[in-house]
Amino acid sequence: MDITSMLRLLTEKTGVSGDEFSASRAAAQLLSEYASEVEVDVFGNVTGFVRSGSKNVRTLMLDAHIDQIGMIVTYIDDSGFIKVGACGGLDMRTMLAQSVTIHGKQEISGVVCTLPPHVSSDHSKVPEIGEISIDIGMTKEQAQQVISLGDRVTVNSWFRRVGKLVSAPSIDDRSGVCVILRALELLKERTLKYDLAVCFSAQEETGERGVKQAAFRLAPDECIAVDVSFGRTPDSEEHETALMGSGAMIGASAVLDREMTERLKALAEANDIPYTIEVMPSSTGTNADAVSISRGGVKCCTVSIPIRYMHTAVEVIDPTDIEAAARLISEYVGGDSNA
Amino acid sequence: MLDRFKTICSIDGTSGDESAVRDYIRSNITADEVTVDNLGNLIVFKKGKKTPENKIMLAAHMDEVGFMVTDVTEDGFLRFGAVGGVDPRVVIGRAVRFKNSTIGVVGTKATHQLSADERKKAPDFTEMYIDIGASTRAEAEKLVSRGDTACFDSDFFSFGDGFIKGKAIDDRAGCLIMMDMINSELEYDMWFAFTVQEEVGTRGAKAASFTVAPDIALVLETTTACDIAGVGGDKRVCQLGKGCVVSYMDRSTVYDRELYKLAFETAEKLGVPVQTKTVVAGGNDSGAIHVSRSGVRTCALSVPCRYLHSPSCVIKQSDYEATKALAAAMANACAVL
Repeated sequence: MDITSMLRLLTEKTGVSGDEFSASRAAAQLLSEYASEVEVDVFGNVTGFVRSGSKNVRTLMLDAHIDQIGMIVTYIDDSGFIKVGACGGLDMRTMLAQSVTIHGKQEISGVVCTLPPHVSSDHSKVPEIGEISIDIGMTKEQAQQVISLGDRVTVNSWFRRVGKLVSAPSIDDRSGVCVILRALELLKERTLKYDLAVCFSAQEETGERGVKQAAFRLAPDECIAVDVSFGRTPDSEEHETALMGSGAMIGASAVLDREMTERLKALAEANDIPYTIEVMPSSTGTNADAVSISRGGVKCCTVSIPIRYMHTAVEVIDPTDIEAAARLISEYVGGDSNA
Repeated sequence: MLDRFKTICSIDGTSGDESAVRDYIRSNITADEVTVDNLGNLIVFKKGKKTPENKIMLAAHMDEVGFMVTDVTEDGFLRFGAVGGVDPRVVIGRAVRFKNSTIGVVGTKATHQLSADERKKAPDFTEMYIDIGASTRAEAEKLVSRGDTACFDSDFFSFGDGFIKGKAIDDRAGCLIMMDMINSELEYDMWFAFTVQEEVGTRGAKAASFTVAPDIALVLETTTACDIAGVGGDKRVCQLGKGCVVSYMDRSTVYDRELYKLAFETAEKLGVPVQTKTVVAGGNDSGAIHVSRSGVRTCALSVPCRYLHSPSCVIKQSDYEATKALAAAMANACAVL
């Protein structure tokens, strides 16, 4: 399966933090083509192993998170409107009049309430999560039949081709899952310098929680956390963003292992893989922060892919950056060709 | 009915660029006279069994709110403005579609990159851009030029207890009612104006009403319903599920009192639910039509609609059916008034 088809398949599943199972199952199925002992654990983490067949090699964890931002039902009001809380850092500027799906006993469609411009004048106010309501066209009694408090809510959007780029919801971080699966594909014909422990972790968006249990269980020596980072927009700072299509972003941070950073850079140079350096002085805001202090400590680095409009329903990515990140990881892991 | 709604709402017709909507309507009606005027209004005459004493015109607008490209930046992004009244907060984070099927998404830098103050303030159109995946001006201009229009690329679905969600329901709902009337057997001769440029100042209707020169006009519209969570009493303006909305006054028209009362009487006879608005808000083609030539007696019959001018207009099917039934009955009643 090519990268874009895989990304499409994965972004068409939903998995808001704590309820990742639809996305987890799809990712587990894709992973089982390359890995053994694939399982979805009680937390919703997908794990599997790709063994080198050699003795005394170190274990490298490849991590991307499977969950996505979304909302959670907190209340059904007397008129049947649904109140919600946030799962992860929603871009609240984008929520009014959004078309949404509530993942209740069945999938329930709705719209985030707003007042039309005919009767409103202040269009600069961003609502807080507690101020929005979802219109599902039902009475309270009808709503209670199909929706329970705690059900997850996603904003409706879909896979779109935007010039040479691609837009979809949950590219953060299904694209990271694609990077790892593509790297495993590239490694099929090569010997491995590591035993690989693959993890598509749950609940990253609500505080890097799923990966903590997974890292404990997998007990790796090293970890590459694959996540998304900021793509260049006209209003963003050059030094905080990477151009779309500029390749893999290699992390440099106090919490990351400097040798891994340097080795990834050297491999990118040696293999003509496009890359940029992503500097995150104190912490990375990715699963690497949690994994690095798992058990007795894990050497970590990040490999990221630039995306635009992070945490909206129209995240945008350049598929060539997924390929670059996958190649970089395959070079980190791969030894001689065994073809 | 839902399939036809979906079809007509999915056609893109920003004000001043309504040709695709007009072509669809034209190829789906059978009438006695069909003309397109200089502005693009589609004017239709359909003979009935009788010629009425009063010349009756029904009107609905084909255009929808949308966007126009104002600049292409060096790095391939599109600056744009709104065509019609659009709250910028229902535009950021959405996809838009150009006539040549080019897709763009609307955004700014990510929420993580904003300061706490910036997160509280929604960006205006001047602060957003459309991203069509181009990295240079030359690349972007192969697909889109300044002045090109775009519409929301939005989903359409039915939901809940008989509700419909889609873009451009304002005013394709009115267009559909008129198409059905044209394709039915009419009691009286009727004129129908499918108008352009309503959203930028009821401009098409000015020309159309001059040309048709009716005695009485019925404007078929969608109107501001604010019956949502946290809004009570009169502030709800009108409510979904309570039937067709008949206006006594809005920001562009003080409606003919006799026709207003006739609408309620006619609805009662038909057993069709009817309501009025509790706020003087909004406006529609009536504003242009009722002051046309030496004056036209005008009545607006509207489907109450939530989230107007957004990618997610919401109506209730029963209100659409009520409006459709009342429009036909009112046309006949006005013919012999």
